[in-house]
Amino acid sequence: MRLYFTFSDMHGIISILEMFIITSSEGKQGRKMSIIEEPFTTTTEPPYTRLSEKTKIQVIKALQEVSGKAYVLHTLYDLALYEYDASIERARPDIVVLPASTQEVAAIVKIATHYHIPVVPRGAGTGLSGGAIPIYGGIVVTFTRMNHILAIDYENLRATVEPGVVNIHLNQALNPHGYAYVPDPSSQRACTIGGNVGENAGGPHTLVYGVTTNHVLGLEIVTSEGEILEIGGEAYDTPGFDLTGLLVGSEGTLCIVTKIIVRIVPLAEDVKTMIAVFDTIEDASNTVSEIIASGIIPTAIEMMDQLILQAVEADSHAGYPLDAAAVLLMETEGMREAVNAQIEEIVAICKKNQARVVRIAADENERQLLWAGRKNAFGAVGRISPEFYVQDGVVPRTQLPYVLRCISEICRRYQLKVGNVFHAGDGNLHPLILFDAQVPGELERVRLAGHEILEICAAVGGTITGEHGVGLEKQAEMALIFTEVDLRIMKKVQTAWNPDQLFNPGKLFPLPGRCADVKQL
Amino acid sequence: MAEITPFVPLFRQQFPQIHSIDDPIQLLDYTVDDRLPDILMQPQTIEEAARIVKFFHAQKLSVLPRGNGTHMSIGDLPAHINALLETTAFNHVLEHEAPDLTCRTEAGITLAQLQAQLKNKGQRLALDPPNAETATIGGILATNDSGPKRLRYGSARDQVIGLSVIQANGEISHSGGRVVKNVAGYDLNKLYIGSFGTLGIIVEANFKLYPLAPAERTLLFTFESIEDAMQATIGLTSSTLAPSAIELLTLQGPKDASPFFAFSLPETGYTLAVNFENSTIAMTRQINEALKIAQTHHAFLREDLEGQEQERFWQMISLQIQSALSCKINLPVTRIAGLIDQVETICKHQHLIANIVAHAGNGIAYVELGPYNAMSRIITAITTLRNFAQANKGNLVLERCSTQLKQHLSVWGEPRADFDMMKRLKHQFDPDGVFVRGRYLGGL
Repeated sequence: MRLYFTFSDMHGIISILEMFIITSSEGKQGRKMSIIEEPFTTTTEPPYTRLSEKTKIQVIKALQEVSGKAYVLHTLYDLALYEYDASIERARPDIVVLPASTQEVAAIVKIATHYHIPVVPRGAGTGLSGGAIPIYGGIVVTFTRMNHILAIDYENLRATVEPGVVNIHLNQALNPHGYAYVPDPSSQRACTIGGNVGENAGGPHTLVYGVTTNHVLGLEIVTSEGEILEIGGEAYDTPGFDLTGLLVGSEGTLCIVTKIIVRIVPLAEDVKTMIAVFDTIEDASNTVSEIIASGIIPTAIEMMDQLILQAVEADSHAGYPLDAAAVLLMETEGMREAVNAQIEEIVAICKKNQARVVRIAADENERQLLWAGRKNAFGAVGRISPEFYVQDGVVPRTQLPYVLRCISEICRRYQLKVGNVFHAGDGNLHPLILFDAQVPGELERVRLAGHEILEICAAVGGTITGEHGVGLEKQAEMALIFTEVDLRIMKKVQTAWNPDQLFNPGKLFPLPGRCADVKQL
Repeated sequence: MAEITPFVPLFRQQFPQIHSIDDPIQLLDYTVDDRLPDILMQPQTIEEAARIVKFFHAQKLSVLPRGNGTHMSIGDLPAHINALLETTAFNHVLEHEAPDLTCRTEAGITLAQLQAQLKNKGQRLALDPPNAETATIGGILATNDSGPKRLRYGSARDQVIGLSVIQANGEISHSGGRVVKNVAGYDLNKLYIGSFGTLGIIVEANFKLYPLAPAERTLLFTFESIEDAMQATIGLTSSTLAPSAIELLTLQGPKDASPFFAFSLPETGYTLAVNFENSTIAMTRQINEALKIAQTHHAFLREDLEGQEQERFWQMISLQIQSALSCKINLPVTRIAGLIDQVETICKHQHLIANIVAHAGNGIAYVELGPYNAMSRIITAITTLRNFAQANKGNLVLERCSTQLKQHLSVWGEPRADFDMMKRLKHQFDPDGVFVRGRYLGGL
């Protein structure tokens, strides 16, 4: 056992060193500061040291009494699974606990407080910004066992779920009754509602219906003191501050969510899905701008460029053209007549913008296939690249053509391949930068390119993240869109609720020593 | 007469250009629950407002923001108000990015003024609280006010994409941004909306917008029983139809507004007003299907309103919610029928009269009780209704009532267990108590 731990620590140290070496050799090239100059791993705040082995054994024992031996993981072998999420960051927890109830979560938090060990909540680990990565080690609380749909109330259009419920499982329970839970991140077959709440997840269908926060009415939470509280509820407008609104998207840095009350909606009468094929990205993005400007609001407008189309087609054979510069995948829903009318208008705008082909999915099967292609796009890219890095900037929709040009220019300059698959209707970009971490310096170029892309998004009045969260990935970039005052106010919220950074430490805020980089208005 | 407070000369010396009123006679129009502020500040710009707050913060004096005052009556009794800060001078639309369906506006503008400007480019803000002519955007957001169409579009929290706020120390901070999707950092917009000026003064707001509806119609149904009316409501909300509003009306008292609008509501029974906004092409079937659902629940169709008549009807509804004594009761939709029963029973026992206007599809009921000077009976009734609401997963807020009644009843009800977390936020945002205490939940 001793050997294992030593190895584990060594491994951690080595990766930190690697990162640091890369940084110091490359990071000073540009005039601009980047995340790399002061990697998060070197931060000294908050002051968490790795657990001593003696303490660790005590903590394990205490946790075993709460959740049972089988649900407290601490061997290297078991922990390895929990050092990743879907971002490019990684760090190993000391202990993983799988609680079965809110009371257990509260007990775990109290143990963590007692021993001063950080707690990082984790859903399915599909997050793209490193939100579930325990950079200071400590306890990862994972909600695999708290995966029950507690109640569905069709008349009041509410469902109450535990945080570990997989997004699509809720929909599988609702759909046969004619209802749905709207937010549908592309990872919905794996990601949990708890994770969705933590990151305020979006998805392709948020254009009309909004993101997670627009669908959550109440929470049960555990505070950093281990207290269990009800927040909001089934009814609207609970007196007092809208704590539900504050906590959704707080990335596990303010509390641990143990129960969620969501709004459900009846399924639309008719849904039509279509693709429009373009020979230039410019035409496709102009089409998006024009559709939005015309006042038609489809339920989804997704864009995929050639690189993505080729990967997707090889993967799911949905019938996407391989030679197109860009495809728009669009969906409208509602009353049959309204859907038909919308489709006509959309087709007209596509044609006006030189769409080569506009095809409406003939049946449900084809519809599902088109969506499967889109939703598996990130996975499909695995066919053509060992790794990729996805960004999540949002820009005003009128700026899409300009920003897409900038992205391809930036990636060309860094000699990186980039594919775009994103929520065009919201202006929410997802450039996927392909790389191979084995190639020396490549990861570094990827980070720099990513940073420059976010600078462009910020410069045109956009934001650095539309649905993936800040996490570890975009801490430095927070300063691109928020002033020092803005950040200080956010910090006050953290001080109010999580003063010792017990929950998910070292996330979301720019790191110490980086104040000079804060945007000045 | 109030003595001249020592900070006034100091303030005027430092800021000779900022308009202010400290004449108690003139200030009578600005009392908050019969409390006279020491001074009314009328800054012309956001920067001036920020400087005022900074001054008062430094002097350890209190500030209460105010738009046009349409909602100043909501809240428990305030602590001493040194300055009332009026935001109505900053009333410019800063940007209307029509092709992006977003806008940025100063918060002192009235909702009607903003809508008029957005309308020029065929768009609107999907918020329809009462008093659009006088209510300012800042006031609407600070009080989280909403209207019948929140059924379809949601409330302020669903429309705001960014805010600028004067903090307790006079600094101006920003939250959110100008794009429709944004998860960078904490969602402080949500925190400021509905915080009644206890955390900061909202001075600018960015919204997402909607196109104007191509066509709009309202059906009025009457039901003999409340159960039928609410079953019809649930029938509509669980159907594939997309009504923009479902208002339930039951009026026993004098209908002040009706004669003015040459329009009368039924004397008995329960009226359901169902509003549809849609493309013309889908309207006919929406209407037909709605009729079918209503008929299943024994409805009588009374009116099918369009155009000016329809506009007048909705204006009248918004006026109904503004009598001297009204409470807002939030419940799960299925508990609304029980609430109405409860109101009727109480009225019978206590010899009171009730008018009820409810966003039936949202489970939000505005109950007006009269005669409002029947103090002890009113207190009994409201206490009973509040207990009913709390026992049914809801709450009751006393939106309008006399200062006298506030001495007997809490406007917000007892705080819940999460109140400590709210206190901590207030303490962080406003440790020195610059923003007048006493009015908000738990005296925050």
